Amino acid sequence: MSDGPLIVQSDKTLLLDIDHPLSDECRRAIAPFAELEKSPEHIHTYRLTPLGLWNARAAGHDAEQVVDTLLKYSRFAVPHALLVDIAETMSRYGRLRLEAHPVHGLILVSNDPAVLREVTRGKKVAPMLGLQLDDETIVVHPGQRGFLKQALLKLGWPAEDFAGYVDGQHHEIALREEGWSIRKYQSMAAEGFWHGGSGVVVLPCGAGKTIVGAAAMAHAKATTLILVTNTVAARQWRDELLRRTTLHEDEIGEYSGAKKEIRPVTIATYQVMTMRRGGVYAHLDLFDAIDWGLIIYDEVHLLPAPIFRFTADIQSRRRLGLTATLVREDGMEGEVFSLIGPKRFDVPWKEIESQGYIAPADCVEVRVTLTEEERLNYATAEQEDRYRFCSTTLTKRKVAVALARQHSEDQVLVIGQYIDQLDALGEELGVPVIKGDTPVKERERLFNLYRAGEIKCLVVSKVANFSIDLPDATIAIQVSGTFGSRQEEAQRLGRILRPKADGRGARFYSLVARDTVDQDFAQNRQRFLAEQGYAYRIIDADEVLSKE
Amino acid sequence: MSYSLADELRMRAESEIALLFTLRPDLISPVPPDMSALAARANSMPSVMRARDALNKWEIDILTAICTLGDPISRMEVLSMTSKDAKPAVLSLWQRALIYKDGEHYRVPSNVRVAIGEHPAGLGPTTTKKIDFSLLEEAPKGATDLLQRMVWGPPKGQVTDVKKAPPAIKWLITNNFLIPFDSQTVLLPREVALHFREGKVFKELQAIEPTITGTSRKQKDINLAAIANIGTFIRWCEELAHNWSDEPPVGLKSGGLGVRDLKRTSEHLGISESCAAFVAELLFIAGLIVIDTDDQIMPTNAFDIWLTRSIEERWHAIASLWLETSRMSGLIGKTENKNISALGPELDRAGVSLIKRNTLELLEKNLELDPSIDSVNICIQWLTPTRANSDYVEWILREAEWLGITGQGAISSFGIALLNNQDLGIETALPKPVDHILIQADNSAIAPGPLTIELANAIGTIADIESRGGATVYRFNEASIRRGLDHGQTGNYILDFLKKTSKTPIPQPLEYLITDVAKRHGRLRVGNAHTYLRCEDEGLIAEILHDKKLEPLQMRKLAPQVLVSDIEINELMNSLREAGYLPAAENATGVLISAPLIRRAKSRPKPPRVVSEISIPTQAVINSAVKALQAGEKASSHKPRDIPRTTANETVELLHQYIEERVRLTIGYADTNGGVSNRLIDPLSISLGTLVARDHATGEITHFRIPRITGVGVANE
Repeated sequence: MSDGPLIVQSDKTLLLDIDHPLSDECRRAIAPFAELEKSPEHIHTYRLTPLGLWNARAAGHDAEQVVDTLLKYSRFAVPHALLVDIAETMSRYGRLRLEAHPVHGLILVSNDPAVLREVTRGKKVAPMLGLQLDDETIVVHPGQRGFLKQALLKLGWPAEDFAGYVDGQHHEIALREEGWSIRKYQSMAAEGFWHGGSGVVVLPCGAGKTIVGAAAMAHAKATTLILVTNTVAARQWRDELLRRTTLHEDEIGEYSGAKKEIRPVTIATYQVMTMRRGGVYAHLDLFDAIDWGLIIYDEVHLLPAPIFRFTADIQSRRRLGLTATLVREDGMEGEVFSLIGPKRFDVPWKEIESQGYIAPADCVEVRVTLTEEERLNYATAEQEDRYRFCSTTLTKRKVAVALARQHSEDQVLVIGQYIDQLDALGEELGVPVIKGDTPVKERERLFNLYRAGEIKCLVVSKVANFSIDLPDATIAIQVSGTFGSRQEEAQRLGRILRPKADGRGARFYSLVARDTVDQDFAQNRQRFLAEQGYAYRIIDADEVLSKE
Repeated sequence: MSYSLADELRMRAESEIALLFTLRPDLISPVPPDMSALAARANSMPSVMRARDALNKWEIDILTAICTLGDPISRMEVLSMTSKDAKPAVLSLWQRALIYKDGEHYRVPSNVRVAIGEHPAGLGPTTTKKIDFSLLEEAPKGATDLLQRMVWGPPKGQVTDVKKAPPAIKWLITNNFLIPFDSQTVLLPREVALHFREGKVFKELQAIEPTITGTSRKQKDINLAAIANIGTFIRWCEELAHNWSDEPPVGLKSGGLGVRDLKRTSEHLGISESCAAFVAELLFIAGLIVIDTDDQIMPTNAFDIWLTRSIEERWHAIASLWLETSRMSGLIGKTENKNISALGPELDRAGVSLIKRNTLELLEKNLELDPSIDSVNICIQWLTPTRANSDYVEWILREAEWLGITGQGAISSFGIALLNNQDLGIETALPKPVDHILIQADNSAIAPGPLTIELANAIGTIADIESRGGATVYRFNEASIRRGLDHGQTGNYILDFLKKTSKTPIPQPLEYLITDVAKRHGRLRVGNAHTYLRCEDEGLIAEILHDKKLEPLQMRKLAPQVLVSDIEINELMNSLREAGYLPAAENATGVLISAPLIRRAKSRPKPPRVVSEISIPTQAVINSAVKALQAGEKASSHKPRDIPRTTANETVELLHQYIEERVRLTIGYADTNGGVSNRLIDPLSISLGTLVARDHATGEITHFRIPRITGVGVANE
């Protein structure tokens, strides 16, 4: 029995002991076929999924290699059944192929007529297929490529897609590495994506996902459509592209509520894409406006349903999804993978932190004890109002204000969910509040002032959850949130993770009302970060107040 | 006079009788009183069938060839009809008393012929008529072809009407190449078939066991894989029993486990339904779970005892039962037999244990080989031609792998030790148990190896298991901590325990979680009370509480106006009335009685019996049986005056023989008054305990009750 770093569990999870001398080597060996599930301090968890194994097949790994790797690094004997299962799963890949046919367009081909018969009998698959040319070939209805692939995946017979990608309209784009250079993990992520054709890159907040996007564009050298969460993010993307690539201002268009420019590189917001006029999505035509060579989905975990549907139609275009937190409380992660593409790159947050590309962060949960009166009111509140009630109490506000004052030297963000609460906080602290109805221009002005250090503290609503780049923010104070959303917590922490000029660490305060639903939600919210190795410290609000 | 089987057995040496008992263990239970009884049993249909099933293809073929000959049979004849190599097989048949010696010749007991069948090796009946094979040269067109087609059996041919048969058939009948059987059937005489078979009974004979083929493995890897399988299997057993303790499935009316419960269990364990059914079956056979009197299927007390043993003992307890069982769990849930359910009454199959042993012995003979199922099947087909079943072989191999008797498909050293009752050596091969866990910031804890039983139990009460395998991943949450507190632990105790057990510092959120839950735990109190007593007059309540006469009721005061007691309502009422109070009963709803935490069946373990498998007796048993037999033999060797007296068994044996030989007999026959008279008869057949024969005195067909026949002798002509 070897004393390897890896423990293979019978539920197909792999536990990697990262304190083991071989752990790095092992991590690299299993990364191509196992998906990183969580990476806390001591033991990282990976999982073997059919999708992951098929992706490994697609990338040229065979079952023997996978089995050998597991046996080589495994600490205990690996159950034989699991190895057989791996071989069996991997052998299913590639029995079906999607190919381009000069006459019939897209065809589904298999050398195994039995498999072909099995899938064509499927209720969901049958309507997507046309004429059967012979025992081994069936015509696929045009436009069904995405749906067919998804349906076949569900049946357990993934199709290898040889139909290729359209190159799109050529457009010269290159990285302009002047005064900066692309980081190793960024170029690895971009290459991983490019070789895979389509897929999702997962990187921590502040680790420079925009640059991965830019590098992908430099690979594609084609017209690109970038979908982002909001207008502010759109402008940040534009600025970043101007700084990092050879693109000029007139090559980049903004397609948002304010402007409707279509240029070789167009940045559109999800909001405008899903805007409906007279019951129809008025702007989905943008997908066909230019022969796009690449479509980038920023913050892909937020992808709205209409875009999901439309994405299924454009399977011949290269697609890149970017996110820090591919967790959705609605469980749609699988859909993202099958429509955008599989996860191409993922790296533990702490790994990037140890390389110094994101700031180390100290997460603190501040437990606030409600007053007797507040407790009584809370107990009698309606079930649906309870969270709002306990997370917006006066006691909490006092603590938030005290914390903000104690950090008056630092760049502070106070983040919350409820507008009244934020307004009150803004008033008490005497600082501006950015919320949904703040005009884009005003938002940009305030953010610029904040970046310049002229404003030390901002109160922001969930509009600042994503994509807002505030390099010098070091303190975040969260007073309330969207219930138990794990990704929101991680994204908010992400706002302060940009490495600081002086190498300081960031601090994330989460204010939680003791013995209420707030505490339960907080526990769920913290799970993603805890799984990434961020250990929360718990302090009592009295500790904060006593410093006053 | 020719020998009977009983006579011949009397002449066998002690060691030969002992060998017979080893080869046919059913003959020894119970020990027969004397040789005639032994002979009768050896020639009884069930025993003959069992002995036949134990033969391999080669031996069966030789026996079949012998059965094509009429008694007495010379060994030369047998060898010439089969092969020169048949000598050992003939010896083996004799050892099993499937043939017996009569001087230089052999004879076949009557029921052995029946067991082999009417048309042994596809050969028809013998004919008394003379056949001139030279006539065939001038046979009409098609006649020889027709014969050729019937040569290898079946020896029966159908025609529309024998009288109006085509000329070729007519010619064959006329020249005795075919025998008309009835108006539509013709038979090919044995002699004709053998002529065309050139004197041989079989086209080809296989004297040697076929070899099995497959992928070769290394014993080290095999054992590693097997150990993993053993660990996994034991875990499945525990998990299934624990799961059924929490949510006991309800047995079907027809007996056994419902399909839905099986599916649920398989999903819970994360294994296939066949595998879940297999685990459930074995637990059932081992008496670790039982179908309780109220039809709930639950673990027994034996399960708790089993849990305290070492992995090796636990595995041995189950695996050794698997070797013996006649239940074939592979049958469960197959589409062709839908209503066969796990733990149900329909799983017993004859020969399962025999095939199992043969299969495993094959593996044992082919070390470091992961055999292909097809080649094992061919081999089993040869070893047990009458019982072989390709499904069984496949299931047995699959189950052996689940159990860890094999690893990577080849037999492990643990499997070999199990088969030979040797020291298993599992304990030393298992990974060393660890005595610590690693707690992480996300409130999960990892035991990086198998935990000691005490530690696993302790952590199991305060954390939920998330993933199993070589390691175990636990998760702490509010519910799991609460469970620990419910088991009587305190927050501090849990914290101290974790600090002691964890190699890593305890993350603060976990510490808070434990203290928070501990703080809230028990603020509400729930208890058991059988009856309550309430009264708005607090004075009266106080009076009752202090009433000396009511002390035995042990009432407790819950609130100023409420008392509770554990006494039955009727008893309480009576006691109160006797003490001079005037209580009135109240509708007694709303008293919570919580169920005990761990539930166990009330019945004792009653595992299913092993059906139709007889284990080979030990040498000591055989020796004492031989002794007993000889003693019995002496006692019964007392000879009658005229016709030798025989027991009923012997009578039957002799009659069978004489019927076969068509000999005229004198028998002693007792009348209703006990007087014995001699009758001269021609025996015809035996049925339902009576002999059918033509009585010479009356010339009529008469039925003689066999128990009343005192002796049988050949009539002097």
